[in-house]
Amino acid sequence: MTDEYYTESGIPVKLLYAPEDIAGYDYEKEIGFPGKPPFVRGVYPNMYRGRLFTVRQLAGFGAPEDCNERIKFLLRHGATGVNIVFDLPTVRGYDSDSPEAEGNVGACGVAIDSLEDMERLFQDVPIDQVSASVVTHLPSTTVVLMAMYMVMAENRGISFDKLSGTNQNDFIMETTVGSGPEILPPQASFRLQCDAIEFATKNLPRWNPVSYNGYNLREAGTNAVQEVAVAIANAIATAEELIRRGLPVDSFARRMSFFWDLCNDFFEEIAKCRASRKVFHEVMKERFHAQDERSCHMRFHVQTAGITLTAVEPFNNVARSAIQGLAAIFGGAQSLHIDSYDEAYSAPTEQAALISLRTQQILQVETNVVNTVDPLAGSYFVEYLTMEMARRIRDYVAEIEKRGGLVACVESGWLHREISNYAYQQQKAIESGERKIVGVNYLKADHAHSGEIEVFRYPDTEERQKAKLRALRERRDGKRLAEAMISLRTGCKTNENIMPHVMEAVRANATLGEIEKVFREEFGLWQFPLA
Amino acid sequence: MSWTELLPALRAGDPLALSRLISRVENQGSEKVQIMKTVFAWTGKAYIVGLTGPPGAGKSTITNGLVELLAEKGLKVGVVCVDPSSPFSGGAFLGDRIRMTSLDAKPGVFIRSLASRGSLGGLSAAAKDVVQLLDAAGKDVVLIETVGMGQVGDEIKKLADTTVLVTVPGLGDGIQTFKAGIMEIADIFIVNKAEREGADETVRDLEMMLSEVEPKKWRPRVLKTCALRKEGLEELWESLQEHRRLLEQSGQWMAQRRNRANTILLENSKEHVLEKFQRELEKDELLLGMRRRVDEGSLDPYTAALFISEYFLANRT
Amino acid sequence: MSRKIKVLMAKLGLDIHWRGAVAVSRMLRDAGMEVVYLGNQFPEEIINAAIQEDADVVGLSTLGGNHAVLGPKVVRLLREKGMGDVLVLMGGVIPRDDMPALKKAGIAEVFGPETQIQEIVDFIHANLKKASAAS
Repeated sequence: MTDEYYTESGIPVKLLYAPEDIAGYDYEKEIGFPGKPPFVRGVYPNMYRGRLFTVRQLAGFGAPEDCNERIKFLLRHGATGVNIVFDLPTVRGYDSDSPEAEGNVGACGVAIDSLEDMERLFQDVPIDQVSASVVTHLPSTTVVLMAMYMVMAENRGISFDKLSGTNQNDFIMETTVGSGPEILPPQASFRLQCDAIEFATKNLPRWNPVSYNGYNLREAGTNAVQEVAVAIANAIATAEELIRRGLPVDSFARRMSFFWDLCNDFFEEIAKCRASRKVFHEVMKERFHAQDERSCHMRFHVQTAGITLTAVEPFNNVARSAIQGLAAIFGGAQSLHIDSYDEAYSAPTEQAALISLRTQQILQVETNVVNTVDPLAGSYFVEYLTMEMARRIRDYVAEIEKRGGLVACVESGWLHREISNYAYQQQKAIESGERKIVGVNYLKADHAHSGEIEVFRYPDTEERQKAKLRALRERRDGKRLAEAMISLRTGCKTNENIMPHVMEAVRANATLGEIEKVFREEFGLWQFPLA
Repeated sequence: MSWTELLPALRAGDPLALSRLISRVENQGSEKVQIMKTVFAWTGKAYIVGLTGPPGAGKSTITNGLVELLAEKGLKVGVVCVDPSSPFSGGAFLGDRIRMTSLDAKPGVFIRSLASRGSLGGLSAAAKDVVQLLDAAGKDVVLIETVGMGQVGDEIKKLADTTVLVTVPGLGDGIQTFKAGIMEIADIFIVNKAEREGADETVRDLEMMLSEVEPKKWRPRVLKTCALRKEGLEELWESLQEHRRLLEQSGQWMAQRRNRANTILLENSKEHVLEKFQRELEKDELLLGMRRRVDEGSLDPYTAALFISEYFLANRT
Repeated sequence: MSRKIKVLMAKLGLDIHWRGAVAVSRMLRDAGMEVVYLGNQFPEEIINAAIQEDADVVGLSTLGGNHAVLGPKVVRLLREKGMGDVLVLMGGVIPRDDMPALKKAGIAEVFGPETQIQEIVDFIHANLKKASAAS
């Protein structure tokens, strides 16, 4: 047995922490009060007493008309916002009738092919009153789905300043985290990401056009430091680009939000959340000279770590998720999604979804942990770890910049290699038993009792979507469509914002897949260098 | 199925027969020489192009675009992608094909990934045999793609009719290192990702360095491409054909084929001798005795090696 | 030079989770195999590549729920093209209820998320069917 201990990201851990471990840090300067720079203790002075973290659970399945029923059900039961997830073909920009979509239509999310589908999805839903979190991972599909949402508002006579919602819109998701048969080059995806943010900054005052997705990067295979550093590097790249386009930093910085993955290393995860606020504040204040304090607020959503869940003895996952959820509260998350215990291997069953909801409610009202702000502040260990995490995050951001910035790091395959190496090391550590997982390689379950895996299938969704597409293609005005598509192509070739072109294509009833096809043809296809 | 049964199918253009023959040759099976000597008569027609350059320059993407273009022109194309084997396990992770997936369905196109399998230069020992097989299978053009470092340049040059070196803007010192030998071997230089800043500068740098190289009949071309958008590939093909015409007119085309046959002759002789030597050596009493003495420290390994080789050669004659 | 086992590794269809497939590929490389990584592909392209690479093993990775349709299709097409002796393995998140149907369709084995990669290596060594691979 070795007597060296490390956090998951590799920070050495001592047996005991004492005042001298944080002796060098000035409280007001380095930590500060909640709601005060550098926001280590939270972006709001009263935190959860002011507003509890939002309980967010995902919704999205089948055809838009099926999902519409669910949205209305949620709203009738007191929800103020809806979180829409899309099926894989929609996420990756294929119509339901394309060969690539076979077998995936309406599974794990709702299928959206056209403006009409978007209108069906939100039929009888007051979009000027509810906040729609539209979980569009990729910039290339964000610009299309966002355009559909806006054109829908236009058609209903709702002005853009009434619309509120969130996109993910992260080019790292498009080019690094997920693989696919057809991927846009990083530069193009990054441009579309910035186009959406720029457009929202100018036209949609209540919209959050980006949520830098550390979560999926972490799940793909990085440690806590890399998770935060890459997201912040993306925020830096975005800010530089938008400033180059002539926007003042205070016009867009407060729209940036973040999305963290909380894994099992309890104190490191808490330190990560606290440190991420500190580094973001530094970047916005010192580097971009933000004047508005809100520009320096890092707000983030937390989801508990899917990657820590096991298919063996799935009920153990309830314990894992609860502890991760507790860490999110100590970290000062703005909103929280607790994974269902079966989320690692299936769409949540009703029972599993209920337990995850109940876990959040237990944390909120039974444990009293939300009653005081940042209760771990002042712990020698937590403060030390926070400073150390901040230092390592800064170093990693510097490393990315040294390599030419985040877009260049993606283009060269460096970031993919970082992920691949980490995942490979982790797998080796698990196989060797160095990294222990209860029930899997540590005190292995006697009768490897795996949970029953249920997969929801909607056999007729694909057919319904195909029929609607056929009808739409026959009905729409061919001339208007052709003109809109030519203008879209031209827009791709120039440096102007793509959004107005996409909106025009959407008005002309171009489908999601047709618009994406233009992107693929104009920007070219790319595959990341792996080996 | 025996190799003799696979040959007619190879000539008829059956990809599975070609593929299985390649495996047998790549794995140095007992039929290797039999196969190669039979197909030799069918070789010599394919135009062989070597594509090399630093990692990340876009070789695979260029290959993909070029092959697509050639396939559209109705040409039959073979592609050999070489990646290094792991020196530790002997296994390999071959990842070039991921960028060539649009070619999978193109008729007449055949792509094979090869691991270098311990070859020092980085080019697979089997690469030249695989090229011969693709040639024998009736491919009009065979492309060999490999990371160009160290000795690979020379190996490619020996194998290919035309050698293409791919680079990208902003490699900076990268171009400087080309000076060391590689400027001489490339017939065509490509500055890929030409939409990027510094592309024209890179082209200028290359032109400048080329002007310092001793002038030959063929003045190497410097081309710009943006392979992702499939720009500049038609021009690349024109330059390749131009070079090919020059080779044919100057007699180089035939000379290259004679050289290749000579290389095969020399290398295979070496291989056969080595193989035989090794086989005998392993069971040789003399070697065991020498080993014992080296182990004991009563003899140094250099003297022992000299002794063994001289003994072996003496017994051959 | 001895015979190497050649593995073709593909992500099935639109499934985005590449990390597992790459980690497995790298560990098979460490076990001395030659792994061609294909990225995301549909059955027709996987077959073409399997032919051209003369693969001994085809590994299909999916966490996207498309296994039931696409997995058996790969086996069927391989058989049609005279490559019925290729060992077809699946890995990823696959419901237990679907496994009998996959096995019946000719998928040799299905490896879940908690598989130790050594198990895959051992399985390949024990089950290689191609005559040429045995030599």
